Amino acid sequence: MTTTTLPKAPLQIYPRRKTTNPVLAAVIRHALIICALVIMLYPVIWMVSASFRPENEIFNGLGLFSPNFTLDNYVNGWTSGSLNFSRYFLNSFLVTVLSIAGNLLACSVTAYAFARLSFPGKKFLFALLLGTMLLPSQVTLVPQYILFNKLEWINTYLPLVVPHWFGVDAFFIFLMVQFIRSLPRELDESARLDGCGHFRIFSRIIMPLAMPAIGTTAMFTFINTWNDFLGPLLYLNRTDLWTVPLGLNSFLDATGESSYGALFAMSVLSLAPIVGFFIVSQRLLLEGVATTGLK
Amino acid sequence: MSDAPVARPLTNAVRPEVLADKSDGGARPAHGARGTRNMKSKTREAIAAYVFLIPWLLGLAGFTLGPMIYSLYLSFTSYDLLSDPRWVGFRNYVQMFTADPRYLKSVSVTLIYVVVSVPLLLIVSMLLALLLNKSMKFLTGYRALFYVPSLLGASVAIAALWRLVFGADGILNKALAVFGIQHGSWVGNPDDALTTIITLTLWAFGSTMIIFLAGLKQIPKELSEAAAMDGAGTLRRFFSVTLPLMTPLIFFNALMGTIHAFQSFTGAYVVSGGTGGPADSTLFYTLYLYQRGFAQLDMGYASAMAWLLLAVLAAFSAFFFWTARFWVHYGDES
Amino acid sequence: MRKAQHVKSTRFTLLAGAAATAILLAGCGGGTSVTANQAGTSAPDGKGDVKGDIQVSWWGGDSRNQKTNAVIDMFTGKNAGVTVDRQSADFAKYFDKLNVQAASKNLPCVVQLQGRQINDYTKRNVLLPLDGMVDSGAIDISDIPKAVVDAGRGTDGKLYFLPYGAAYDAVGVNTTLADQAGVGLPADGYNWSDFTQYLTTAQAKLPEGVTAANIGGGRPNYFIGWTQANGKTLFDKDGKLGFSKDDLKQYWAMWDDLRQKGVTISAQKSAEEPTAPDQSYLAHGESMTDTLPGNALTPATKTLTGAKPGQEMTTIPFPSGPKGSGNALYPSGFAISANCNNIPTAAAFVNFFTNDLEAGKSFASDNGAATNTKVLDAQLADPALSATKKHELELYKQIIAKNPPTIVFPAGYQSVFEDSFKRAYQEVSYGRMSIDQAVDKFFTEANAKLGQ
Repeated sequence: MTTTTLPKAPLQIYPRRKTTNPVLAAVIRHALIICALVIMLYPVIWMVSASFRPENEIFNGLGLFSPNFTLDNYVNGWTSGSLNFSRYFLNSFLVTVLSIAGNLLACSVTAYAFARLSFPGKKFLFALLLGTMLLPSQVTLVPQYILFNKLEWINTYLPLVVPHWFGVDAFFIFLMVQFIRSLPRELDESARLDGCGHFRIFSRIIMPLAMPAIGTTAMFTFINTWNDFLGPLLYLNRTDLWTVPLGLNSFLDATGESSYGALFAMSVLSLAPIVGFFIVSQRLLLEGVATTGLK
Repeated sequence: MSDAPVARPLTNAVRPEVLADKSDGGARPAHGARGTRNMKSKTREAIAAYVFLIPWLLGLAGFTLGPMIYSLYLSFTSYDLLSDPRWVGFRNYVQMFTADPRYLKSVSVTLIYVVVSVPLLLIVSMLLALLLNKSMKFLTGYRALFYVPSLLGASVAIAALWRLVFGADGILNKALAVFGIQHGSWVGNPDDALTTIITLTLWAFGSTMIIFLAGLKQIPKELSEAAAMDGAGTLRRFFSVTLPLMTPLIFFNALMGTIHAFQSFTGAYVVSGGTGGPADSTLFYTLYLYQRGFAQLDMGYASAMAWLLLAVLAAFSAFFFWTARFWVHYGDES
Repeated sequence: MRKAQHVKSTRFTLLAGAAATAILLAGCGGGTSVTANQAGTSAPDGKGDVKGDIQVSWWGGDSRNQKTNAVIDMFTGKNAGVTVDRQSADFAKYFDKLNVQAASKNLPCVVQLQGRQINDYTKRNVLLPLDGMVDSGAIDISDIPKAVVDAGRGTDGKLYFLPYGAAYDAVGVNTTLADQAGVGLPADGYNWSDFTQYLTTAQAKLPEGVTAANIGGGRPNYFIGWTQANGKTLFDKDGKLGFSKDDLKQYWAMWDDLRQKGVTISAQKSAEEPTAPDQSYLAHGESMTDTLPGNALTPATKTLTGAKPGQEMTTIPFPSGPKGSGNALYPSGFAISANCNNIPTAAAFVNFFTNDLEAGKSFASDNGAATNTKVLDAQLADPALSATKKHELELYKQIIAKNPPTIVFPAGYQSVFEDSFKRAYQEVSYGRMSIDQAVDKFFTEANAKLGQ
């Protein structure tokens, strides 16, 4: 867990950090991390470098550099199809933002009830909540499609967004329950003694403290929605509604001509918003809380 | 489950609640307060709870339970998607164990995967989360980079990348050759293919790590500092302060990790091109279920497979929740 | 007391809601297929006003989507008041989506299919027979060779899809490697034993890391070619396997002998190979020959030029046998779904896509050679036609001139036969099963599901 090796002395006369050279330790630590990162990310780095190679040289070898550097894959990829990727990106953003908002709202209120309130039927409902996660989603695809077709929601974003507003992602509810339960109960007990109602306790005390859980949920929802392929495939027919993964899939054709160059280029671009969102959300949420700390 | 009783911290060295008392002066409401609250307040709490639960209850009734119940019904039918389901009783369930060697193969592949990948994933993510919880330069950048593999999701590029790493002429074999080790293809060898899928899972450890990291962020600094002042070393602090406070999330990650591993689909689907090959060596349970349901148009059989898995996972979860009372420590108890 | 009632009623509403959804779902799962059955027997003539909405779905990537969209635009341009909802996805995903839509009785009006899957759908009466529309003149088949039209028939003999593009499997040969090995191309009319001899001779002189053939034993299309050349029956009238276990044993023994001599790639490398024909080992210059869909010559050549600059490839017919050439046709075409509520427009579209000269020229035989002979000749006459595309189309003409066999694939062919065939040979090539065991395994698996 740390890079320093410790003597097992129960008592230490000097603070430990003085026993090793802090600069050296930092250098070693960074070197180790960077080594691990290079090994882990080599495939991704390769993908980025391949996206700058001419279409028909993409699978030639494991090296990173090609003398024939080109931006064609990005240009052609972006403008492919009757529309272009700017439309797919916009659509993906719309679906993602609406899904995140719904998930945060629905999952947090549900989680608060399960984590902090006692009510009859709680055990049963909580078991039901967990139960909904245990069935492989593949078998509910067809009944769900039938349902959304009956509701005439095909060719709209409703099947992709609306369920999130009703807390169908039990995973996130469970996650938030675990987070909230690890918060000391004294906090809301004292707020209650001060006369706060449940809604105020939820919004003023629990939510600010559960920021890491909210950040995590937002992050995961972003990734899941952004990368979701099957949902958009089933529910969106018209190209002007397509999301990024559908656009990416259209570069592949098992029966004709595939465009791996454009595929890699657009895959790289589609990673950018998630990485960006991650950096922003962890700055705002993880770091923000750490500095405030718990009272 | 939600009211699992007190769990003791694993060691008796430094008890977090004692430290907590130290740090905030120890003014805590008496526990009896909850029990003596009158009927009216209890009713009000129950009503509030159900108000909070409205969206979820609507979603459950409207979107989740209906399809689930329908698939339970389908599991007792012969249903090819294109014509009406026909009731066959327990035939699908019986067939799995009596007339389907591929089913049994998929069970064994999945079990091996669960047993190997879940503990490894938990350990790797916890270690990395601890490492990345330190304050150091470029921390945000490092975290983001370690997370990148998880962001790729089921990207179609993964299949190409995996061949690049684990193919006969892949990066791994080039690296091994430096040490004089000769090895054939990893993805193309039935004895090694599952290993490459487990590696893929571990490669994308980011999500599990993020949950641990968020949990570590929640641990009050005062606790750790107080323990350090008491003279506890790093290891000791980890086992007596950090670990007990992390148990709710370890519990969460272990349970969810196991459930996800049993339902694992994408990795094998992408790397094997949906076949579960070579020679069924990566035929995961849900991959086979998908083949039966959507390619071979045996949705009744696929539903039966799904509900059997649900039953097994429910039993496992119930057992796991029961063990929680011995090792999971919640902040809302003392 | 009140509290308990409150909870009870909440739980009750919840369960009632869920039950209601379940009933709703069960309701739409059933019932409607009765009308599908009726539609199946009434055989509409496809006459009527061409107007309103239809949905058209096909498989393909960006390049085919553009070509298909161009044809749809031409169709809507000529028929004011028609709008088309376009749906496309890559091959495997396409069928997943189609099956989910079918389960919801929500199939697109016009559905692209091949003979390899058609009977999965005809068996369940989700497609309309086109015979009535052909009789009424709504759909014209007069310019399409009979062998090609027949590939659109179901097991019941009715026409279910109108083939617009005829793909065939050919043997792709890397001519540069073949010349280096001093073997050139096999002589016209070569048979299977000539072919294995040819491969073995070539292997001795090929550079290191290149094999003469891919792992042919696991290729269903090679096997189909072999059965046709040798006069074996592929499927009996119930859709079960029509050849004998000994036939398959003999066939696999031939390939496994080549594999053990190092003439084919190893089992491990075969398992690693990407499935798209333009990413195969043949396309990357690592294998001298392989079976190749005729229309993949253009993309595969493009890959080869990048991977091994200077190398060239071509396609030749399959090996022949006592019963003639083994080239089977695998045409693709459009079918009309039974739940379509705009049959006249759907029929007009199917006819337009297949027979319109301008549409055909614009689509440029992207998914197999144009089946309409006038369209095909117009493309061949175009001086701008690329050399590889020209070769694809000419080889098709050569094959069709020999009156190739028409294969009716039973229900379950694509999902069961092909999958099971590959896996069974994999067991042999990994040395995990004897040929006899693998043949038994394949027969059991395939016969359990085929034709159902």
